[in-house]
Amino acid sequence: MSLLEVDDIEVRYGAIRAIKGISFHVDEGEVVALLGANGAGKTTTQKTVSGMMRPSLGEIRYDGQRIDGLPAHELIHLGICHVPEGRRVFPMMTVRENLEMGAFRFKRPDPQILARVFELFPRLQERIGQHAGTLSGGEQQMLAIGRALMGKPRLLLLDEPSMGLAPLIVRQIFSIVKQINSEGVTVLIVEQNAAQALALADRGYVLETGELVLSGTGQELLSDDRVRAAYLGEEISS
Amino acid sequence: MSADVKTNLKRLLACLGLGVVLALMIGDQEGNQTDFGFAFKAAVFHPRILIFLGIGVLLYLAMTFRPRVAPYLTRAGVRPLAAGTASVVASYGLLNWSDSGNLTNGKLSTLAHGARDTSGISVIGRLFFGSAVPGLYWILFVLAIALAAAAIIVQKSALAWGAAGLSVLAGVWGFVAHEMVRSYLHSPDHSTGAFVALLGYATIASASVTVARTSGSEAATGAFLDRIFGWKPGFPLFVIGTAAALLGTFWASWFSPTDKNTSVFGMSDLFHGYPINGLTSAYLGWLVWVLLVASVVVAGAATWLQHKLLGWASVLVGAVALLISLLSMHNFSRIAADQKFDGAVQAWQNIGTGAWTLCAAFTVLAGAGWMVARKPVDAAADPVSPRPIGSDSLVSPGKSFAFTQAMLVVVLAGALFYPPTATGFWQTVLVTEIGTYVLLAVGLNVVVGWAGLLDLGFIAFYAIGSYTTAYLTDTLPVKPPHWLHLSPLMAIPFAIAICLVAGVALGFPTLRLRGDYLAIVTLGFGEIIRIVAINAKSITNGAQGAFGIPQPVVHLGPLHLKWGQDPLQYWYLLLVFIIVVVMLFRRLENSRLGRAWAAVREDEVAAQATGVNTVRVKLLAFAIGASTSGLAGVFFASQIGYINPDNFVLNNSILVVAYVVFGGMGSLSGAIAGAAVLTWLPEFLKAQVPAEDRQMWIGAVILLMMIFRPAGLLPAKRRAAELSGLDKVYSAETAAVPAGEGM
Repeated sequence: MSLLEVDDIEVRYGAIRAIKGISFHVDEGEVVALLGANGAGKTTTQKTVSGMMRPSLGEIRYDGQRIDGLPAHELIHLGICHVPEGRRVFPMMTVRENLEMGAFRFKRPDPQILARVFELFPRLQERIGQHAGTLSGGEQQMLAIGRALMGKPRLLLLDEPSMGLAPLIVRQIFSIVKQINSEGVTVLIVEQNAAQALALADRGYVLETGELVLSGTGQELLSDDRVRAAYLGEEISS
Repeated sequence: MSADVKTNLKRLLACLGLGVVLALMIGDQEGNQTDFGFAFKAAVFHPRILIFLGIGVLLYLAMTFRPRVAPYLTRAGVRPLAAGTASVVASYGLLNWSDSGNLTNGKLSTLAHGARDTSGISVIGRLFFGSAVPGLYWILFVLAIALAAAAIIVQKSALAWGAAGLSVLAGVWGFVAHEMVRSYLHSPDHSTGAFVALLGYATIASASVTVARTSGSEAATGAFLDRIFGWKPGFPLFVIGTAAALLGTFWASWFSPTDKNTSVFGMSDLFHGYPINGLTSAYLGWLVWVLLVASVVVAGAATWLQHKLLGWASVLVGAVALLISLLSMHNFSRIAADQKFDGAVQAWQNIGTGAWTLCAAFTVLAGAGWMVARKPVDAAADPVSPRPIGSDSLVSPGKSFAFTQAMLVVVLAGALFYPPTATGFWQTVLVTEIGTYVLLAVGLNVVVGWAGLLDLGFIAFYAIGSYTTAYLTDTLPVKPPHWLHLSPLMAIPFAIAICLVAGVALGFPTLRLRGDYLAIVTLGFGEIIRIVAINAKSITNGAQGAFGIPQPVVHLGPLHLKWGQDPLQYWYLLLVFIIVVVMLFRRLENSRLGRAWAAVREDEVAAQATGVNTVRVKLLAFAIGASTSGLAGVFFASQIGYINPDNFVLNNSILVVAYVVFGGMGSLSGAIAGAAVLTWLPEFLKAQVPAEDRQMWIGAVILLMMIFRPAGLLPAKRRAAELSGLDKVYSAETAAVPAGEGM
């Protein structure tokens, strides 16, 4: 049984159907990438999984239990932690306070996890007393991931972690995601940076205007002509 | 070059224009029906316009040479010097030095004019008021300031010591001279001028000492203060308490029935032969000295040795001394009323400043002990080492924690024992304006400051609280069931509950709105409540409102309290409310809920992503704010006795928002200070400026405040950063992203 099963969901913004019935699944311990251009519905899909939006049709099951329609603050107790698009750290809180907010679902933050986060992101420890708004983009992304880790995720939802970051930082962040995954955290990642995401992912899905058009393992998708044309910017000689 | 000249010219013109505006603002405003330009002409075609143009030129010079002056402004002692200067100027120019009817307006210039040729006043006093050199007090003041400024500029400690000496002389001399006038006039005196002048001079003197003692050209005065207050926690309080105790016993009058200002030395004789009880007679005879010495010695030992047990002992001694003092004061004032010393009809009347000052001193001394006793064990711990995880870090005690604590004690002592010495006018203002709005501002601070929801209909909950009280005390056309007739204080839980419900009812449908939209909806809600109160005549008695709401009574076992007409009684009731609410809210601020509010305020999506139930958290903020407002409403209704819809107009809602913003959004002490200052100011200005100008001056104060302290009077740390931009806070750090990014 998969950890997360998304079954034919449809999501609407008023009259607009943003997601037109997609189904996919994420198995325990996997890294799954959702790819697509702007407006394809990646973020909407992820927001639906994390409970910030509710589907108008379809079912989402997590660990065998229906979770569609549950609000985000209840899902987090099931171990679904979300790193929202655009990082969204609390700019006026210090790095430490941001991390402590990540552990909001617990009575008090777990010092071991905090130590682990600092191990993964030594930069955060250097900046522990600094306001998050003064961090660089890459550091803010690290902080956002660290904050999600503080909630002890079983399923980590990453929304465009590479957005607006230098390639070097992107590589660094992806390698850390890999490391997090190797410790048993299942990852559902939304990306435009197909090359990086697919190199990391076990499997991937490609979304186009609210519909699933392709799926396969990371390698399969990387070598797929259509993906190469659309997301890797390569000339295809057909 | 020519561009430079042009800017300078523009600036000069602007400054001169400002001078003209000031000239128009200050002075007679009356016109007449045939000459509409009268006020303008009176202001402009008059030699005194030159003074205002001079101010403009000075301003121009200050702005132009600011770059050259600026380095000096960061030097140690500049800010306290400015503060001291401001207080002395205020004392000399604005405050009353006497409120005896013998002198017209009681300001220093009037007093000096009358006193300098009065032979009944000793020559020392007359000299101060300018019998030899007119305006000597101003000359002394200008000299002291000039010396201190020179000392700051050339960094000569001799000059600084000179300034310190001169300001001590001027301060003490002024105080003594005032005392001479007071004893000459032989009448009760509530004036604050001499005190403020003394405090101002003390500030100038300490600034000068700072200057003399700091060798480097740049040392922050704040750090200096922190060092003083952090050196031996409680010790500054001990000094303040001892000074107050000495003032209270050796200087001030203890009992002042008509024309008899009796100091503590005369009390025993005055009451000789009257049926005062044993404790009181012992107290007036010798016990007061024993208590005084004991509490000073114990507090001194505790703060000097920093011994915890002695600290607790000091708390105990202070509390016992306070209790005995209050018992004795009650006894002798009641006997005096019984024996018809003068028109007094009940206890606590005619007690002079001295007794109350001594009470305040005991409180402060006990507070000094408390600071020692409650000192955190690891106060000296290395600040660099990481704190234990899970400690509440959103509000961390700063290094000026000791300063805050000391201020808290002083403010509490002032709030407890200053009001009895104030005039009836100020007592009424304290209750109906200052205290009530402090409570409202503290409540609104939860909604606006912590949860970040702009609520422009806050007064509606105040109205709901008031009308609930009116209903439950059977003063509305609709009658409560007969088993539900309550005294006003019993109405509190009902009012709180109803306001909670009302807060949730308003919040639930509207909290999806943000910012401006929410503000408009709440504004509408406030108006709906008021208009319903006007129109629902059969329920609320329409525009006439409710009459005869009874005064609060408490019957609690052996304790029977009944509130009457005396504003002072209500002040203490209100103080209890405020203290309880503030203590609860302080806990709340540091709780999970407080952190959730901070998160929602900063980024709602991120808050959701970290597991905060944003809807619930915002609703709670609304409900808690509303119930505080309801509590204030109960108090208001039972204090004033009659309510009508006019008490709950939109203007009041906006004022409360202004108080919170003025004080510093999200800061409890800020909300209190903001409300206190902005409610005090109009009353204070009543005696200073023509009535029709009052709002204008208040507006000017708010404008200046928003320019120079945009984050508020006592800003919350986080809010200060939000408003001033992070780069200022972390100028040393590499600012990698604009502050707005990542929001």
